[in-house]
Amino acid sequence: MADITYRQALHDTLREELLRDENVFLLGEEIGTFEGSYKITAGLLKEFGPKRVVDTPIVENGFVGMATGAAMLGLRPIVEIMTINFIVLAMDQIVNHAAKIYAMFGGQCPVPLVIRTPGGGGQQLAATHSQNLEVWFAHVPGLKVVAPSTPADAKGLLRTSVRDNNPVIFLENLALYNVKGEEPGSDYMVPIGQAKVTKEGTDLTVISYSRMAAVALDVAQRLEQENNLSVEVVDLRSLRPLDHETILNSVRKTNRAIVFEEDWRSFGIGAEIAALVQEEAFDDLDAPVKRVASLEVPLPYSKPLEMATLTGAKQLLESINELAPRRRRR
Amino acid sequence: MSEVTMPRLSDTMQEGTIAHWLKKAGDEVKKGDILAEVETDKATMDLEAYEAGTLQQILVQEGETVPIGQAVALIGTGAVAQKPEQPAPAPAADRTGVEEAPATAPVQAESTTGSQEAVEKRDNGALVKASPLARRMAEEHNIDLSQVRGTGPGGRIVRDDIEDVREQQHAAPAPTPPAPASQPAAPPQEVPGPAAQLAAPPPDVEISKLSRVQMLIARRLTESKQTIPHFYVSSEVDMTDALAMRQVLNADVGEDGVKVTVNDLIVKACALALEKFPEVNSTFKDDQRIQYKHINIGIAVDVPSGLVVPVIRNTNIKGVRSIAREAKALIAKARANKLAPADLEGGTFSVSNLGMMDASNFIAVINPPQAAILAVASTRKQFVPVDGQPVIRDLMTMTLSADHRVIYGATVARFLQEVKRLLQNPYNLLG
Repeated sequence: MADITYRQALHDTLREELLRDENVFLLGEEIGTFEGSYKITAGLLKEFGPKRVVDTPIVENGFVGMATGAAMLGLRPIVEIMTINFIVLAMDQIVNHAAKIYAMFGGQCPVPLVIRTPGGGGQQLAATHSQNLEVWFAHVPGLKVVAPSTPADAKGLLRTSVRDNNPVIFLENLALYNVKGEEPGSDYMVPIGQAKVTKEGTDLTVISYSRMAAVALDVAQRLEQENNLSVEVVDLRSLRPLDHETILNSVRKTNRAIVFEEDWRSFGIGAEIAALVQEEAFDDLDAPVKRVASLEVPLPYSKPLEMATLTGAKQLLESINELAPRRRRR
Repeated sequence: MSEVTMPRLSDTMQEGTIAHWLKKAGDEVKKGDILAEVETDKATMDLEAYEAGTLQQILVQEGETVPIGQAVALIGTGAVAQKPEQPAPAPAADRTGVEEAPATAPVQAESTTGSQEAVEKRDNGALVKASPLARRMAEEHNIDLSQVRGTGPGGRIVRDDIEDVREQQHAAPAPTPPAPASQPAAPPQEVPGPAAQLAAPPPDVEISKLSRVQMLIARRLTESKQTIPHFYVSSEVDMTDALAMRQVLNADVGEDGVKVTVNDLIVKACALALEKFPEVNSTFKDDQRIQYKHINIGIAVDVPSGLVVPVIRNTNIKGVRSIAREAKALIAKARANKLAPADLEGGTFSVSNLGMMDASNFIAVINPPQAAILAVASTRKQFVPVDGQPVIRDLMTMTLSADHRVIYGATVARFLQEVKRLLQNPYNLLG
C-alpha cells in the first residue's frame, strides 16, 4: 500500500463516511468554502453540498449544541473544532449534555456525535492556542476519547467513531497532519478502547498516545539499533475507555514503565496510568512509574522558550536512561 | 565503632571484591592486622586494620564486590553482643516484663548476622528497601533480602540485584549441599543461601562466575581485538648459538643463583631492538602516536586464574642476569597471586612465550594500550641446508602482532630482523 499523510487519511475517511451513510454530515468553522483551517475538508463542500458540509458561525457552544440535537434525532454529525483550545466554549454542551443525555433519559436516545479537534504545541501559537486538554474529556463518563498517532489508526478510529452511538472526542495533533504512514485496507477498523504495542521490547515500557506515541516509537527504534536497549512502546490510541489489559500485560513483562505525554504532568494521563499500574501490577514493578510531560507553565510564544517547555524525544531519552535496568545499560 | 571501608588500592580501582576474610566477627584486631584479601582490577591485596578493637561485624561477604569507600566491616571496642542491631540491654530493660533479653544475649553473640527478622531490617537496623518485584522474586527464590546489596536509587534492591544473587548461586553451588544435621551453626555468611540447592544448573555444563581479573582480561582482550587493526609478521630464528651461550652462562651458576632462560634472552633482544625501532614501542591514542621513552617489557605469565603480564622496567638498560632475576621474582609473585598494581603497570611491549609447551607457532592478541606483542613458539631441531649439506639446527618461530594504526609492515619486518640478528649473534645481548 502507498503511504498517505495523516491529513489525507482524515480527509479520505470523512469522504468515505459521507458517501457511505447519508445521515453523516460535517459542521464547523471554515470547513466549507475555506476548506478547513488545516485543509482536512478540502473539496468536500463542492462534492456534497452545503447540507452535508455546514460552515458555522464562530460559536462553539452553538454548533456543538446543534450537533448534539441533530445526533439525538438520528443524524450522525462530525464536528470540527478548529483547535482543542476553542473547545472550552462548548464544555457545557459536551459535558453536561452530549455526555449525559443517553444515561439521564433512560437510554431513549443515543448521541452518535464525533468531535474532531487537533491539540498540541510547537507551532509558536502561544499559550492559548497550543494546549492539550484531552484529559478533561477522558475524565468524563459518557464520552469516548480517541487519539490516533498514525494515518492508518486515524482512518481506523475515525471509521469506528462515526459508527459508534456515543459522543466521541477525536483528538488530532497539529504536528501529525503531515506525517506519512501506510494506508490501511478499506475495511481497517480500530475498536475504541484498544491500545496497540507498536514495538515489542523487554527492558521497559513507554506508554503514550497521539504525537508522543510516534516520538516514542522513533526513540525506541533508535535505541534498539544504537545500544540494544529493548524498549516496548504501547500506543494507547484510546484514552477513554482505557485499555488496561494491554498496559498491564506490557508492564508485567518489562517491570518498568514511563508514561510519555505532551500535556501537563499533574492530574494527567500519566497520573491515571501510574495509579492503574500500582493498583493492578504492584508486585511486578521494579521501579516507580515515571511520567514525562511538558513543563507546567502557560506555553511561551518565544521559540527557544517554547522548545524548552515542551517535552520531546530528548526528555524521553533521558528518562529511559535513568529508568533502564542496570544490567541492560551500557 | 568505626567502619572499615573498601580502600583505593590502585589508581584505576573503582571497586573491589572481598576474596577472603582472614578475621571473623568477634576477633580482636590490632592496628596493621590483615583483615581480608581484596581482589582489585589488577591484583589481590591486603586489607589492613587502621585501628585496634574487636571486629564487630562483617558487612560484605566473600565474593561480593563493592565500590571503594563502602563499609565492609565494623571495628569497635567491647563484645560483639553490644552490636547495635541486637536489642541492647538498656532498652530491653526499659520494656516492662521483658526477661528474655539478658538470657539470650550470649547465644546471640555467637551469631554474626542477625537474620531472624531479616526480611524487613538490615543488620544495622535500617529498613530494607526493595522494589515490589524484587520482594516477590526474593520470596519465590527464598532469598534473604537483608543480605542483598541494593543498587537501585537510594540503595533500593531491584530485579537486577536479585538476578545477580541468583547468578552467583548458580555459579557457586552450595559448598555443603548435604549438610549433616549435626552441624547446626555454620556461619551464615559462608552459605550462599538455601536457594542455591533449588536452582540446579543444567546437567551437562558447569557454570562458573569469572573472577574480577578474568572479567578484566575478557573485556580488555575483546576491546583489543575489536578496536585494534592487528597484523602479523612471522620470522624463524636459528637459536643454536643462543642456546649454547645460555648453557655457558648457566654452567657456573651455584645452587641459589638465577639461571637465565631462553625467554630472558628474547626479552633482552626485544628491548635492544625496540631501542632501534622506537615506533614499535608506542601506542595509538586519539589519532596520535604516543612513543614511549622507556622500554618496559611485560611478560605473559600463566596463572591459575588466567593470565597476568608483569612488567620489567627499563629492560633495555638491564643486563640479561638482572632481567632473569626480576622475571623469576615476578613470576613467583604472579603464581602466588601477590602482584602489586605497580608490578603490572607501565608496560610498553609484551612477550608471550608458549615455547615450553611445544607450540610450533601461534599469534597473540595485543595487550592494550601497547601496540605490539611478540609470540614465541618452541625451538625444534630441524635440518637446514648449510653449504648444500643438511645440518641440524635449533629453529624457533616468532610472530609479532602489531597495531597497524601506528606501525607498518616494513617496520615490523625490520624489527624482527633485528631481534633475529641479536639472537643469532647472542653475545650482542651481553654488551
